[in-house]
Amino acid sequence: MARPLVFQFGDRDLPFTLNKVDRSKLYGYKEMAVLTEDGQSCELATLADDGCTVVGRGGTGLGQLSVDGLWCDKQTLKPVDQNGNEIKPVPSSFSAPVRLFETVSVSDYFKHNIRLVYHVTSEDDISDLVAELKKGTLFSFPYSYRGGLAADAGFLLMGEEDRIFLLVGSPTKIEFIGLQQVAAVDEGEEDEDEAESMDFDMI
Amino acid sequence: MSEINIANSSGRDAVVVANSARSVLNVHWVDDQGRQVSPVRVVKATISQDGPALARQFGGMDKVSAALVEGDPEIDLEKVGRILRDTSRVYVDPEGEIVHRVQFWEVVRNPDGSERERRPRRILDTNVAGEVPLRWSGKFIKKEEACRRFVFSGKVQLHHINGLTYDFLFEMAKQLEAKDSLMFLGAGPKSNQPLILKRGGIPYRGFLEGRTDGDKYCLILHFSNLELKAPEEAPKQESES
Repeated sequence: MARPLVFQFGDRDLPFTLNKVDRSKLYGYKEMAVLTEDGQSCELATLADDGCTVVGRGGTGLGQLSVDGLWCDKQTLKPVDQNGNEIKPVPSSFSAPVRLFETVSVSDYFKHNIRLVYHVTSEDDISDLVAELKKGTLFSFPYSYRGGLAADAGFLLMGEEDRIFLLVGSPTKIEFIGLQQVAAVDEGEEDEDEAESMDFDMI
Repeated sequence: MSEINIANSSGRDAVVVANSARSVLNVHWVDDQGRQVSPVRVVKATISQDGPALARQFGGMDKVSAALVEGDPEIDLEKVGRILRDTSRVYVDPEGEIVHRVQFWEVVRNPDGSERERRPRRILDTNVAGEVPLRWSGKFIKKEEACRRFVFSGKVQLHHINGLTYDFLFEMAKQLEAKDSLMFLGAGPKSNQPLILKRGGIPYRGFLEGRTDGDKYCLILHFSNLELKAPEEAPKQESES
């Protein structure tokens, strides 16, 4: 059985089972079938710049090259932020109980883009936590499924029908703007990225 | 950034800018001398020597394993390890040949996986920056309720392009802030159609939120295509994908 996610609420550890919620389970889903003229199924592939090398699914890999153009083993590399400070990896949230003590306002919650939703259930007595969530409390905590370079923002809240949800997202760069901060009208590539990322998230 | 045509509560409309609000974590990888390395994509196997191709060549995967023990039929020494740049996306048939004329079909399935409909692909046009503005629907939902009913997976921030549109957007933000609510924002004459940000993109429901701070404002258009509710039958624990 998969490891539960344990929340520490007060002095108690409460194990929860996660059930992912997505559009396909609620509304169904759409698949794209790409067919040849005679009805055969097609797959997407990559054509190299020589115009003749075709690489199928799983046929490419990622590597890192040094400034000298030499192959680098990823194990020897360090991740840094844009200021050159080393990034300390975060552990998986399943490796230790997640403390529920920080709360956020709805306005702060709305500053995040949510990319994953889980309906969480527990067989333990969670009446204290339920009572707190029913008041409208929104718990916030760092969350990482596998561990990695950075934790996502995790939120625990109560939805409709007294169901508890874990939402995972990332902060956005929402800011207040004044009269002097006039935007230039320019159809650049940035909005394309936004739309594409959303497509990716939701697919 | 992109343009958006939006109307206020008086029915006056203006074209303003919708800026992406996405924040990206910038991670660079450096070597032991602190020099930044560059990511590259390389060829691991060409389509003529991948698993299915070898299975066809040797007459089954069981025979492929024997061939792998005896030699290196999966490696094209001229191509494997080569760096991929300026690539193109192509469709290939089951034999691995490039197909130049393809047909796109959408297969719509129910939550249980059964097929509901099969139809030629429909490409929806964007509807947020056309001649018809996104109208002020006047349909509000309290923020407390909205965060418990919908999942907001994306957002853009509306931005003025001159003094007139500053006043226009500031007033909208102020009105929405006073309501402590999000306003449902839809496309079309009745404001009931989902928003499509780019041609062929996924339709989303729009929710407009306004905040002010002195003479500054923040007008956020949230996007959602998922309600916050559990499926009928909860499946077993799943992994992140």
